Amino acid sequence: MIRRLGLVWLTALIALMYLPILSVILASLSTSRYMRFPHRQWSTGAYVDAVSQDQTWILHATSFKIAALVAVLSLILATFGAMAFARYDWRGRSWFQKAVVLPIFFPQPVLGLALLLFLTAIGVTPSWRSAVFAHMVWILPIVTLVISIRLFGYDPAQEDAARDLGATRWQTFREVTLPHLAPGMVSGGLFAFLLSWSNLPLSIFTTGADTTLPEYMFTRVATNYAPVISAIAVIATLGSVALGLVLLLALRLRRRS
Amino acid sequence: MPDTGADAPPALSLSGLSRSFGDTRALDDVSLDIREGEFFTVVGPSGSGKTTLLRILAGLDRPTAGTLHLRGRDIAGLPPNKRPTAMVFQSLALFDHRSVGENVAFALKMRGVGAEARRTKALELLDLVRLPRDYHDRPVTQCSGGERQRVALARALASDPEILFFDEPLSALDYRLRKTLEVELRDLQKRTGRTFVYITHSLEEAMVMSDRIGIMRDGRLVQVGDPATIYGRPRDRFVARFMGEVNVFEIAGGRLPAFDAPAPAQDGWLIVRPEALAPDAGDVQFDATVTDIYRLGSRVQMHLDTAAGTLIAELPASTRLAEGDAARFGFAVADTHRVAE
Ligand SMILES: Nc1ncnc2c1ncn2[C@@H]1O[C@H](COP(=O)(O)OP(=O)(O)OP(=O)(O)O)[C@@H](O)[C@H]1O
Ligand SMILES: [Mg+2]
Repeated sequence: MIRRLGLVWLTALIALMYLPILSVILASLSTSRYMRFPHRQWSTGAYVDAVSQDQTWILHATSFKIAALVAVLSLILATFGAMAFARYDWRGRSWFQKAVVLPIFFPQPVLGLALLLFLTAIGVTPSWRSAVFAHMVWILPIVTLVISIRLFGYDPAQEDAARDLGATRWQTFREVTLPHLAPGMVSGGLFAFLLSWSNLPLSIFTTGADTTLPEYMFTRVATNYAPVISAIAVIATLGSVALGLVLLLALRLRRRS
Repeated sequence: MPDTGADAPPALSLSGLSRSFGDTRALDDVSLDIREGEFFTVVGPSGSGKTTLLRILAGLDRPTAGTLHLRGRDIAGLPPNKRPTAMVFQSLALFDHRSVGENVAFALKMRGVGAEARRTKALELLDLVRLPRDYHDRPVTQCSGGERQRVALARALASDPEILFFDEPLSALDYRLRKTLEVELRDLQKRTGRTFVYITHSLEEAMVMSDRIGIMRDGRLVQVGDPATIYGRPRDRFVARFMGEVNVFEIAGGRLPAFDAPAPAQDGWLIVRPEALAPDAGDVQFDATVTDIYRLGSRVQMHLDTAAGTLIAELPASTRLAEGDAARFGFAVADTHRVAE
């Protein structure tokens, strides 16, 4: 009985999580500006429009550029940050630990506004480049935390052992530290990409004349909705799902070899 | 084969080595020569600076003062990867994302030895430390404590070091396995002629394996000598107590106030080993009641309640004394050792 209840509960939960996504797919298959169901006329016309208009690809390119840069830069900085955070003991470390996680606690719109004011103050014209910076202010702490988790419960004497057995500092990092951090780096990088890819509040304030996918969807839904918006949304989702699958597959293959 | 002639420089020569962490003097003015091919053991209580000493010898830490020479060559500035030494760590520090074979052959890989040669050498080393060859491809995380110990040993040997450091390598093991490995280590050292510097908490381990023992206390090396000397002629009460259970009596004005008997010196302390006490024997005798008896295989240890407090005696297991018995015990002053402090 309890097991059955649990099953019902789980099904309901999953349905609740996925129904909104399903409704976007349904909306993309309509011809009407008005969201009404069932459709009077089913159509894939929105997809044809979406794929054939340049704007779709410009939006994707902008979002991808930002997300990929954020992921790569966060990964590099967070790896060293995590080592400073969790691995090495130094004066001011506890101060650094607090400073690093602080941005996570700011509401993103507040952070976005603050960053915009800051960028204007130092004379930078907001563009997708400044959005990379803005995203990183919020995402870097998260990636740092994700990678740090790998470093707790890690015997740093392994690095001493490597040095003792003839490894240079660089070899020690490559052969011992890096392999240990790798799982955290993969999830950290993935997190960074997806958080940036889907970010709205920071982008709105900091992209200037450039437009990301979430920004575009938000403004079009507010002012000038058409099924093509839903179609673009579905394409964007497929993109990030595909990325996740490719990464998983690559990991699986590497482990096997 | 290293030169081991009489006038050959010592394998390691430490002079005035000190290391401070803030206000803690973890190592305090340690001077010592470790001879070529010697099995040198460092013992001392927890926190006495043993690990600190070994880390400095291995180049993993720098002394705040003092010099260090390897066969007459100053190696103070030499990083660990350039020193012909290898260490078995207190925590073992195995590479936990690698297989047994990859752990063992790590030093070879760092030298650019090819995969095939590495495998051959790793298998040889597994034989040497008596691990089955099919452990080569097993993840180290799937090895038992004793097996991990052997992997750590094999890994240190793989770099073909001239000097090996061991930081309490057997402390985590059960008694029997420890005994076996102690013998094997000593055997290995004899066969390879390498210099071993070995840390342990265990007096027994030190006595069985070492050519010489160094006793550490609060960062200082308080006494160095062969096992018999350290045991029989400890420098002070601390060393005597550290090297096993002892009875200590104060000497005042040339007498032993505890027994109102003459003493072999004017002042200081008289160290009486438990095995020196026997019923109805010796020139200093006293009344005693047996309060506890512990069996130690072929010997028994008993606690005696006496006018001089609780004393410890060790007798052959054949003794007929039982708990609660009263007897007259004694020791011969010739079997005792006097220390000044
Ligand atoms: N990195 C460090 N930072 C600060 N203090 C340290 C550090 N390493 C060691 N110490 C201190 O130095 C002293 C000696 O430590 P060490 O590790 O050498 O002791 P040990 O003799 O190996 O003890 P054990 O038998 O418990 O392993 C201790 O008081 C310890 O707290
Ligand atoms: Mg130690």
